[in-house]
Amino acid sequence: MESRKKNYIFPIFMMILLTISVLLVNIFTGSSDISVRETLQIFFLKNKGSVNYDILWKIRMPRALASMLLGGALSLSGYLLQTFFHNPIAGPFVLGVSSGAKLTVAVSMMFFMSAGIGMSASSMVVSAFAGSMISLGFVLLVSRKIKRMSMLVVCGIMISYICSAITDFIVTFADDSDIVNLHDWSLGTFSGTNMNDVLVILIFVTVSVIGTVMISKPMGAYMLGENYAGSMGVNVKFLKVMIVVLSGLLSATVTAFAGPVSFVGIAVPHIARVVFRTSKPLVMIPCCFFGGSIFCMVCDMIARTALAPTEISISTVTAIFGAPVVIVAMLRRRQGEL
Amino acid sequence: MDDIIISADDLNVGYDRKIVVDGVNFSIKSGEILSLIGPNGAGKSTVLKTLAGYLQKLSGKVTLCGEDTGRISRDNFSRKLSVVLTERIRPELMTCREVVETGRYPYTGRFGKLTVGDTEVVEKSIKMVEIEEISDKDFNSVSDGQKQRVMLARAICQEPQVLILDEPTSFLDIHHKIAFLEILKKLAVSGEIAVILSMHELDFAEKISDKVLCIKDGTVTKSGTPKEIFTQENIMSLYDISEEMYEKYFR
Repeated sequence: MESRKKNYIFPIFMMILLTISVLLVNIFTGSSDISVRETLQIFFLKNKGSVNYDILWKIRMPRALASMLLGGALSLSGYLLQTFFHNPIAGPFVLGVSSGAKLTVAVSMMFFMSAGIGMSASSMVVSAFAGSMISLGFVLLVSRKIKRMSMLVVCGIMISYICSAITDFIVTFADDSDIVNLHDWSLGTFSGTNMNDVLVILIFVTVSVIGTVMISKPMGAYMLGENYAGSMGVNVKFLKVMIVVLSGLLSATVTAFAGPVSFVGIAVPHIARVVFRTSKPLVMIPCCFFGGSIFCMVCDMIARTALAPTEISISTVTAIFGAPVVIVAMLRRRQGEL
Repeated sequence: MDDIIISADDLNVGYDRKIVVDGVNFSIKSGEILSLIGPNGAGKSTVLKTLAGYLQKLSGKVTLCGEDTGRISRDNFSRKLSVVLTERIRPELMTCREVVETGRYPYTGRFGKLTVGDTEVVEKSIKMVEIEEISDKDFNSVSDGQKQRVMLARAICQEPQVLILDEPTSFLDIHHKIAFLEILKKLAVSGEIAVILSMHELDFAEKISDKVLCIKDGTVTKSGTPKEIFTQENIMSLYDISEEMYEKYFR
């Protein structure tokens, strides 16, 4: 009987190891050549003042950490939405949640800039959260009328275009020099994060991940549908609110710092399901998180090194690797394999 | 009358204050089977949904194990009553055993880890509905008849005192209908469970039920033992069947 029970601890442990190794590779590589020896020296001896010290501590480290945390957050956000809609094609990007967040962040940034106030990292998250809740709320309203996921995705993509159009409009007409960053950000990038941002990201992501783990049990019951979940004693209304809030918070954190990043939210949970052949939330949560971390760190490495010194936007890279996975996911679902 | 497990007194059910069925009265003991019969759309499901707690009752009283159902906490309720619904589920990447295991939900801890005791109940339920061979297959890959048994095992696993089933045999062929009802009968008697189900198969309902409720045109038209219910005139009026047709199809 025990042989039937798959052991998930070892593979999850391996994923954590892989995450750490990719993180290290990310820190050790870049457009300016810093030898491994020097890197280690900078790490442990902390000889400040050198240019390389700044490159490592102020550019590479925060960027690598941010892509690790945000990648995991994005993937987990997608997993939550997929659980919510009982459909593997749901994700923060295709449902317009990321673009909603992008719009509110752009608007509030502009507002604060014109008032001469800089926005703090956490107020960016708050603003992004408001945006993601508005677009998700809209999608949920539509989902009451339309049960078909394909129509919901079309609706999400339309919301996404509308929000992006307004954001582009705002960005184009802004003449402040700070807006240059805003333009890069609106396409999606992990560059420009500092250690202070990383700390804020860490707090938001940790809170959301803990929240997600806490609802893993009712989420498992919810997979049998709302009515069965209710009959097992799950407070379905509360659970649904929790899922929406947590996934909104996760994707808002990502959008606030890295802009909209496409396809990670669908592709990574799909790969995790195929590899682990399970849908148990308690297994899927760490697998999606670390899978997303690895995926985003690798994509970000490609984004910054492939055409160095020019950077590609992160979404370009994630789309190249993520979109085919999404297509496969859709095809397999049609065939009833998944 | 302490051994009455579930009873309804002047229960009115419906949606948004609009009554769908009124005057539901019954009381059943453990080991008994109550069937709800009547034409499509008469409100059998609405009655079952209300008893199972999905719908707020409009008025009247439902007593479960001596307590008013309105006063029982969500957790306690789910340990006393479980369901097999008409809706078909499509869980992703879950084996039949994993679907059955979800029935332990009200008993497991914060993260839903199954104890040795839980696993024993799961195995017992699987054995009871005879799905040992398919228990490790993907739920979506097994036949409708097998799925229905898995759902029954899941409900049994919840160790309820009342089991509610909404048209559990509708999608099954004759062989599976009989097998399913046989398991149900055995379960009611041996497990001391009260069973409430809706059915369209009158011949089977007559054989397995201890009590029958006839529901038509928004009210309970008749209730009683199968002997009292399954008379020619009653069935003719319940389903609007002419004498000629009754003679043709029921004789």
